[in-house]
Amino acid sequence: MLAAKDMGESMNDEQLQPHSAFRFHGSWQEFARIAFPNLLLTIVTLGIYRFWATTREREYLWGKTEFIDERLEWTGRGMELFIGFIMVFVLIGLPFIVIQLVSQGLIFQGVPVLAGLLTFAMFLSLFYLTGVAYFRALRYRLSRTYWRGIRGGSDDPGFQYGLSYNWKWIVGWLPIFLMVPWAMISLWNDRWNAMSFGPHRFSATAQWTPLMKRYLLFYLVPFLIFVGAVIFGISMAASGGAPAAMGGAGMAIGGILAIVAVLIFYIMLPLAALAFYSKYFRLAVGGLRLHTLEFAFRARSVDWVLFFLANMAIIICTLGIGYIFMPYRNWKFFVEHMEAYGEINIDELTQSQTVVEKHGEGLLDAFDVGAI
Amino acid sequence: MSTFFTAAHYDGQKAVKRAVEVEVMGPQFYVVENAWRSGPFAFADVAYVTKQGDADVYGLAGHDGWRLILSGPIPADLSAMLPAPRKYGGWVDRLGLGKAAIAFALTSAAAVAVVLFSPQWLAPLIPDSVDDSLGDALVGDFGGRFCHTPAGDAALQKLVASLDDAPQDLRVEVANIDMLNAVALPGGNVILFDGLLKQARSPDEVAGVLAHEIGHVRERHVMQALLRQMGLAVVLGGVDGNSGALVNNMLAMSYSRDAEAEADAYAMQALGSANISPVGTASFFDRLSQLDGSAGVVKDNAGITGYLSSHPLSASRKDAFEKSIVKGKNYKPALTPTEWTELKTMCAQDREAKSGLGFDFN
Repeated sequence: MLAAKDMGESMNDEQLQPHSAFRFHGSWQEFARIAFPNLLLTIVTLGIYRFWATTREREYLWGKTEFIDERLEWTGRGMELFIGFIMVFVLIGLPFIVIQLVSQGLIFQGVPVLAGLLTFAMFLSLFYLTGVAYFRALRYRLSRTYWRGIRGGSDDPGFQYGLSYNWKWIVGWLPIFLMVPWAMISLWNDRWNAMSFGPHRFSATAQWTPLMKRYLLFYLVPFLIFVGAVIFGISMAASGGAPAAMGGAGMAIGGILAIVAVLIFYIMLPLAALAFYSKYFRLAVGGLRLHTLEFAFRARSVDWVLFFLANMAIIICTLGIGYIFMPYRNWKFFVEHMEAYGEINIDELTQSQTVVEKHGEGLLDAFDVGAI
Repeated sequence: MSTFFTAAHYDGQKAVKRAVEVEVMGPQFYVVENAWRSGPFAFADVAYVTKQGDADVYGLAGHDGWRLILSGPIPADLSAMLPAPRKYGGWVDRLGLGKAAIAFALTSAAAVAVVLFSPQWLAPLIPDSVDDSLGDALVGDFGGRFCHTPAGDAALQKLVASLDDAPQDLRVEVANIDMLNAVALPGGNVILFDGLLKQARSPDEVAGVLAHEIGHVRERHVMQALLRQMGLAVVLGGVDGNSGALVNNMLAMSYSRDAEAEADAYAMQALGSANISPVGTASFFDRLSQLDGSAGVVKDNAGITGYLSSHPLSASRKDAFEKSIVKGKNYKPALTPTEWTELKTMCAQDREAKSGLGFDFN
């Protein structure tokens, strides 16, 4: 039996077991020796090398990640990602180019309604495929992740999930976007409930209601700022000190206030969004179980804010070159805040019997919605 | 005769880690832990998986999750039997990073060059039937926006015939759209927008623009541009969205500038042989340059702004057309005053022609 970390531990016990079940051993200097050649090769191949570049980065990041007592292993191949990309290009990209040409021709010929319908159908199928893509990317990543010679995966091809993705997002948006947290959590659960590692199925039971307070905060920020501005304006007018009455100085004050309002909007809104996402991710991971293991994600809103500020600083100070370190930063942030509780019976952990697809996450790559 | 090496091992069936000895027997080997023995396996089936710290990890074909983890320097006897470590992937490892980068760069440059230059030779090879059906599919009856009156059609026909030797391959139409523009499309389709006719002050001006568009058709620019765009989309398909689109647009734009200059040259020649004065076209571009602001640009600096726009600056085009005027030549107007009025008012007269763009749903 391997103990990940006992459930009932209090903060005081941290000294006894100071680290999480997940530990990251990488260094950015080592990663740079992968990232810079990757950048060079990606440029000279007009981008085609990026599939192999991604693979090398993942090999490094996975290999530097220790779970309990053994490193993870990424066994995906650049060729798989490349084949996935080619499949998407031929099966989806080319038909869509043709559809676009046809609908342009239809507009020219004066049947805009038909062209509109065609474009709408194209949009709908893209929406559907995006859902399928999210599912298949997670499945692909699990099937290529090994720990102690055992991998994960899923036998579900994700076509059903694509439909759930559509209707749940539509339900999320319909009541003036108020059900978005429900859609996010419910889809996370759907996705993970179809996945497995070794012989064990994941179980995802995250609740969406605890997320609503943070969501409403984010949702209401623009309204609160607007209401605040109106109240301020009314009180100014009531006290007889309307900016216009004060001449030049009043105009200046009005201008400064307007700038402050805009700044609040552009600072408060991202902060509220991060606070929401932080809570979402904690709830989502917290609802995840694998047989006798439970998971947690410990990053609080402050951690997320600092993480994003540091990322922005790195990218700006390096004039954009620092962008190539973002996969490293993201993975490190993810692993360092992951936590697992419970025990694993090594003898019970047998090989996964799920199918292994020979192509990578081409769909997700094509729609540019790659996660970590 | 057998040799032993120590290693860590996962059999891929269970997550149990074993401290094993590798028992080598010729081209085959066993993994042994005390009384537990597994094999024989062929060295030919062993594949390099990854490097983990100072350990090299090997897998076995057909055995999902099977791992042999050899720490530290591998003894020469064993290393001779095992596959070489993989760092970047096949080709790069074989050539080395520097040479591979140079080879890739040359291949990429060659691919881009082929895509950029081949349309000039490929476009004439595309059969006319393909060109025509593409044109028909795109244009059709233009949603009923083409204007027709017997006198206007005759005037237009006369204009086309004076500018081109084989007017029967061309389909020139006036569309009831209030835009200062004209386009050449596949299948010899040329569309003059009514806004252009209204703005023009003489038939010579329209003749210049029409000759320019016929130039695009005769030089096969439309098919070339289509082929080039498709080729670039494929070649740059691997580049991330934004930068790919930027490169694509810049390349396409520089080519469309060349095409515009070619079409202008064609137009000057066509006007010359039709005995139509290029003065009208020059003054038309002069008025356009007031609109796009290029008249104010100092001529020496015109290169920069001119490079960024797909059309050559109206001001420089005006100069070119002015220079093509032959002094003392006896030019005659492109149309008689009556013909010109009929053409200019064709869309106003034709009550059946629909107006506007295709985007309104009324």
